[in-house]
Amino acid sequence: MELASQHRIARRRATVLAALCASLCSLLAATGAAARTGEHSSTRVTGITVYAAASLTDVFPKIDSGPKYSFGASSTLAAQITQGAPADVFASANTTIPAQLFAKQLVQRPVVFTRNRLVFVVPTSNPAGIHSVYDLKKAGVKLVIAAPAVPVGSYTLQVLKQMGLTSVLANVVSRESDVRSVLSKVALGEADAGFVYSTDARTVPGKVRVFKIPAWAQPKVTYALAVVSASGNKAAAQRFIREVLSKAGQKKMLAAGFLALPKAKSKR
Amino acid sequence: MRKALLALLYFLAAVVALAFLALPIVAIFVHVPPGRLIDQLSNPVVTDALIVSFKTTLIAQAFILLFGTPTAYVLASRRFPGRSLCVTLVELPLVLPPAVAGIGLLAAFGRFGLLGSSLSAAGITIPFTQTAVTIAVAFVASPLYIRQAIAAFETIDPNLVAASRTLGAGPARTFFRVILPLSRGGLAAGEALAFARGLGEFGATIMFAGSLQKVTQTLPLAIYAEFEVNFDVTLAISALLILISAALLISLKLASQWQPSTPTSHSRFGLLSWS
Repeated sequence: MELASQHRIARRRATVLAALCASLCSLLAATGAAARTGEHSSTRVTGITVYAAASLTDVFPKIDSGPKYSFGASSTLAAQITQGAPADVFASANTTIPAQLFAKQLVQRPVVFTRNRLVFVVPTSNPAGIHSVYDLKKAGVKLVIAAPAVPVGSYTLQVLKQMGLTSVLANVVSRESDVRSVLSKVALGEADAGFVYSTDARTVPGKVRVFKIPAWAQPKVTYALAVVSASGNKAAAQRFIREVLSKAGQKKMLAAGFLALPKAKSKR
Repeated sequence: MRKALLALLYFLAAVVALAFLALPIVAIFVHVPPGRLIDQLSNPVVTDALIVSFKTTLIAQAFILLFGTPTAYVLASRRFPGRSLCVTLVELPLVLPPAVAGIGLLAAFGRFGLLGSSLSAAGITIPFTQTAVTIAVAFVASPLYIRQAIAAFETIDPNLVAASRTLGAGPARTFFRVILPLSRGGLAAGEALAFARGLGEFGATIMFAGSLQKVTQTLPLAIYAEFEVNFDVTLAISALLILISAALLISLKLASQWQPSTPTSHSRFGLLSWS
């Protein structure tokens, strides 16, 4: 009797193992197939690493799903590149940081590739009852902004200065390390308000309410990218940059909510 | 011949391991001349971060000791249904990624959190305050202390405890006069680990408490913020943290040696007592 039950147990174990293997194989095949269908673009630049600003998290992989991406605050990425991080392309949410790297000969000449708009967001439940940017002055409002070294943080300070609202800074409860952290804190409802790009606000529909900043107070939010000097694959890096600047690439950026480059400016 | 070869291999492995551990620490001090380190001590970013770090860690450690010691004693000395579940629960924050701990704290104490929603209705908000930092530190550091405390209490010879009771000492007197002194070494070791872990806490803090100079920006958060601004300040803060941690380790080792506590049960490896 014991031998028969042992056989049964062994058979059951084998069946379970076989089922696990089969499901694992089918899962791998499915992911492989999904990767190969490449519904995003017909040309994929592979073999490069792109360090890009956090606000480009959703749109860059749509332009080209080939490269390895590392998204974060432009200032953090620049510091990493200065310390020797293996990036081939660096895309920043401002022109100052690439210019600084170019001056240190860490990147090749930067190229402007898109523009953006600053907005401020509140949670949909609007716990602090904010109806305009001037309401941010109310006592007890929990305002979250990015650290001043981060591009969106410095743009925020510019806007507040332009509008004469620097007293609002007394309501800041946290200086986050990148724009998506600011967005998360607001989307989670923990912060009462936060300054982000209009393109970021679109990524969490239904979780935040967007308030526009008057055009006269808008800072010039211009993004620039460059080939990293220490890149081992500069040809592919250049191809990627051309893709971003191409008509198709620019169309995808506009579809994500970024602003077109003014026709006159063409720094190539 | 083989014995010598084996000894050589052990030696080489030890050299590689020790060099690996020492290299990053030595490298920081090579990059930071002592003069610059003293200079940076007057940088308000550094001093504010020092104050926030120490305030929050000390308060957190007080709570850990106050609540953790009885918890560890109960778990060590009693066997009850669900005991292993409790021990697993106590050890869970140890294996939880700090970012997950931060999310969990938000989910519990955030404005719309499990406990937080009732707290905020009463007017108490926790995220973005120094209290949030203290809670985050206590959450990630307590398992380290409680685990060591459990192990320390478990090595106490029950005969000594029984002897104390038969000699007329009540449970409280036994605990303070017999059990605590006997387990002093293990408790100190656990506390050292918990203190160091608390001082270095980053992920949960930045998620739950945010980062604001003078309020919630601890030393590790200051390092992260300064990394992209001024690498020299980053190095200086790092060197400072190393010195503080080293001083902590050494002083706790010395303190546990003032009154040597020999393990009263026969465990050969003195992980628990440092005498």
